[in-house]
Amino acid sequence: MRKFLCLVRAGLRSNFGLSVLRHRLFREKKDIWLVPLFAVAFVAVLPSIYGLILLVQNLYLALKPVGQERALLTLGVLGGQFFILLFGLYYVISAFYFSRDLEFLIPLPLKPFQVMASKFAVIMINEYLTVMIIVLPVLVGYGVLARGGWPYWVNAVLVYLLLPVIPLAVVALLVVILMRFVNLGRRKDALVLIGSIVLLTSALGLQFIVGRSPNVKPSAQAMTAFFASPDSLLNVIGSRFPPSIWASKAVAGGFSASGLLNLALFAGTSVLFFAAILVLSERLFYRGLVGLREVSARKRAMSRAQMEQRVSSGRHPVRAVFGREWRLMIRTPIFLLNGTLVVVIVPAVFALMVKAGSGSRDMDAVLRLMNSAHPLIVILAAAAFMIVCGSLNGTSSSAFSREGAQFWISRVIPVSPRDQVAAKFLHSYLVALLGTVTASLVAVWMLHLTAARLLVAAGLSLVAGIFLTALGMIIDLARPLLDWTNPQKAIKQNLNVVLAMCADIGVLTALYFAVRFMVRWKLPDAAVIAVLYGILGVCSAAGYAALARFAERRYREIEV
Amino acid sequence: MIEIKHISKSYNKGKVRAVNDLDLTVKSGEIFGFLGPNGAGKTTTIKMIVGLLRPDSGSIVVDGLDTQKDALKCKSITTYVPDYPNVYERLTGLEYLNFIGDVYGVPKNERLERIGKWLDIFELAGAVSNPIQSYSHGMKEKIVLIAALLPAPRVMVLDEPMVGLDPRASHSLKELMREHCDQGKTLFFSTHVMEVAEKLCDRIGIIHQGRLIACGTMDELKALDRADTSLENIFLELTDK
Repeated sequence: MRKFLCLVRAGLRSNFGLSVLRHRLFREKKDIWLVPLFAVAFVAVLPSIYGLILLVQNLYLALKPVGQERALLTLGVLGGQFFILLFGLYYVISAFYFSRDLEFLIPLPLKPFQVMASKFAVIMINEYLTVMIIVLPVLVGYGVLARGGWPYWVNAVLVYLLLPVIPLAVVALLVVILMRFVNLGRRKDALVLIGSIVLLTSALGLQFIVGRSPNVKPSAQAMTAFFASPDSLLNVIGSRFPPSIWASKAVAGGFSASGLLNLALFAGTSVLFFAAILVLSERLFYRGLVGLREVSARKRAMSRAQMEQRVSSGRHPVRAVFGREWRLMIRTPIFLLNGTLVVVIVPAVFALMVKAGSGSRDMDAVLRLMNSAHPLIVILAAAAFMIVCGSLNGTSSSAFSREGAQFWISRVIPVSPRDQVAAKFLHSYLVALLGTVTASLVAVWMLHLTAARLLVAAGLSLVAGIFLTALGMIIDLARPLLDWTNPQKAIKQNLNVVLAMCADIGVLTALYFAVRFMVRWKLPDAAVIAVLYGILGVCSAAGYAALARFAERRYREIEV
Repeated sequence: MIEIKHISKSYNKGKVRAVNDLDLTVKSGEIFGFLGPNGAGKTTTIKMIVGLLRPDSGSIVVDGLDTQKDALKCKSITTYVPDYPNVYERLTGLEYLNFIGDVYGVPKNERLERIGKWLDIFELAGAVSNPIQSYSHGMKEKIVLIAALLPAPRVMVLDEPMVGLDPRASHSLKELMREHCDQGKTLFFSTHVMEVAEKLCDRIGIIHQGRLIACGTMDELKALDRADTSLENIFLELTDK
């Protein structure tokens, strides 16, 4: 147990960079500027948190008169668990198989299950922070509105602590089994990527199945029976994933017999899943792991003709740096998944989730109506969706961090920081463009946009993309994370990515208020859009100029 | 030529002084060996020459160009080999060499000729189309060396270049270093291998606790000790303070 706790402590320190952060904050005082920045970032996301709290409150008030308010808890728990199921995949693959600490953990006198359990614990703690934004507003909101006594709060804490176990264990089981076989192949990177996509698709498929509810019209009698029980809606929502029902009943029931029984069921199942992971890890974990980093390659000397063909004839430095960025991105599975594929996956998930919902036909009708009655809202909603899908990825905000220990090369080559930044910008912007294109397809499918409206919305997204890409790069350049040992840290656990997302949300919120202001002033639709183009155009030009200037300074300052 | 003019560098807000008022000139056509115990300030000095670190005070001039004011021009005539070969593991050896050729503007014909020649010399021709990820430490060291030779720079700065090389590659590197300087170019390198420094270098500098404590030809260093002794003995005596 002591060994396990030591491993968890070391894992947490390394995962969150606690020792480095403490050193930089209090000893070197280099990162002291992060404190006000965090405060600003927190303020930027406050409107979103407020929106969530309002949503919980409204849902509660809507469900309370029909006695179905407990379903709110199931929604929260289920939402959190699906979120973990979907995104836990990245954490699990990279923590179990791609972190470099494994190289010195394997030779230590530790059992595979101890290493696996410690990594599992670190991911769990990560997940508490990740799902906080989804689950906490529900648990706290419900507790306050329903005036839950202390048994409610005790059970809520226990359920929150156990929440990530089952979905993470499911992901971990799939990953450990997959990796055991992936490791047999030669092209491991490709297999890891394909495996990840298969897992992700399975998770999506599951979501699709769970989201679909039987399309039968209930009789009046069934409706009466439905509303007679306070758990009817809860059971319907959680029917495809019973642990979420147990968790909701455990929280709502407090220390009653039903509450304790459901808590026991939820905790027991979680323990069983965790035990399964431990047993499996003892058998499969190291076998899948050993040799994963070894890359076999056949030696083949090149003929003069082949060499002539493959030696480039002198590309412009911007093209050379762009090519390097692109290659490194697509050849590093973690970067590819989190930087590029995510801009395709997110719109697809969104479309599936909405289309899978039982009310999708009603929603369709509402959207068609909106399209003709409020074209401005539809255009802006589509543009916002495209901006979110295109720009809210970690490509720009990890543009410098991804270089890691190789940043010395960028510092010694005779290419001006302006040119290097131009190449990096082009690369990040292309990813944003890919996201905008995918989101456009989804928007056309869901919002039934006409070609003209689509062009206006996509144009707004593309102009905004310039500004947000520059903003993300500025944030990463201010504090590049170059001392990572696991590529996951450069993109998935990089604080700069979170800060950039907060900044993006802040920009979108500011634009929202600008639009509200213009609509209140009864500006015609065309004028509102023209003003938005103007604002974003100026911000983009200023943002890129600031980035280029900042790069000239920072490339001299960053010491490696 | 490298002119290091009274440079100092400290870390941790001045608490750790890594290099202290270093003043040194390396002439064109000269192989200069930089010796010193661990933590003496060798790598810090080298990183300042190639622009990876900024001196707190003083300046460095490479072939008449100030490394701070004419940074880009300096970089175009200087190449650097770090002590650890951290290179883009996901690129193939050839892709990395192409990248270096592109950013230094090496014409295709020269690129082809030089790459072919050095791949043969360092016995890397069979692996150049494989990802660098699949290379051993020594092979990575070799690809970084070839990349540093590719632009035919006026000045080469190498931080412990022999570490990780097999005896044959090490021998070839020494020959290449001599060849480089015989063309009137400059080479500055750090090493812990006294025999290499003794046999290869035109002049040697010894740094200790951030200060240059001795500098000169082998004969001049021997004269300091007033005895016909080896570089190793001189080094041990000078740094045992």
